[in-house]
Amino acid sequence: MSKVKAGIITFLGTNCEQDTMRACELFGWDTEFIWQNDIIKKTYDIIFLPGGFSYGDHISSGRIAKLSPAVKSLPIGKSLIVGICNGFQILCEAKMLSGALTCNENLKFISKVVPLEFLGEIIHIPIAHHQGNYTYSEGRLGENEEVILRYTENINGSDDYIAGIYNRKTKIIGIMPHPERAVFEELGLTDGRKIFEFIENEI
Amino acid sequence: MKKFKAIVNVGLKPTIKDIKSATLKDAVSHLLDIENFRCKVGSRYILEFEAKNKIDAENKVKIIADEILANSVIEEYEILWEDLDEQS
Repeated sequence: MSKVKAGIITFLGTNCEQDTMRACELFGWDTEFIWQNDIIKKTYDIIFLPGGFSYGDHISSGRIAKLSPAVKSLPIGKSLIVGICNGFQILCEAKMLSGALTCNENLKFISKVVPLEFLGEIIHIPIAHHQGNYTYSEGRLGENEEVILRYTENINGSDDYIAGIYNRKTKIIGIMPHPERAVFEELGLTDGRKIFEFIENEI
Repeated sequence: MKKFKAIVNVGLKPTIKDIKSATLKDAVSHLLDIENFRCKVGSRYILEFEAKNKIDAENKVKIIADEILANSVIEEYEILWEDLDEQS
């Protein structure tokens, strides 16, 4: 079987691209960065939109990055597209996933490990965001979308405790927690591997 | 081409929980004694540019507001024009 090929889009202000690359490499994936201003022409099995503060979060998180050539040229329906934290915000702003991520209910930046419901089990993964409060478009998820990750308690005010959604038809995943920060034993948490295993199975 | 100046005010839709406004209201209550205080927090953008005519200008500002300044899922906006009589 040929190696999984992964691309990680980096924007001005992205700060989780190295962690994401290391996690991809742990899984043996052939990984490279894609600059925000480049049009995506190569074929990737997975394209990550990593965490961080693209364009300094100006106007609103993810608002400007959605207009970048890399995001505009995402091969929708071909590559599996995974937005983590700021990446999830970008995908929602670009209307590639439904809903919006607005300020946390307590208006604080929340950075801590939280329990999450994932595929019928409880896993522990860090979150680090100020705008992680998932709000439905028109009171529900979009067509073909499903919740894949859910907080077990009200962390940030998200509708129905939603922490991550997946559109199987367009092959787009958006999650607020950071699985790439929970794959190495020396960092104390390895539950993030389960998310990466899920991603690998969805290619 | 004519010069135009538009002011775009963006705020959360009434259906979205407005935490920043609630925080401001709370802060004001600690600052002074005030009755029936209401507030709405938002963002203000001042845009100056050239366009062929008013319709062209309105179209351009609408695109900027819809694509960059506001997210229609949670926000609404109003556009105010400055010195429009002199420009049209």
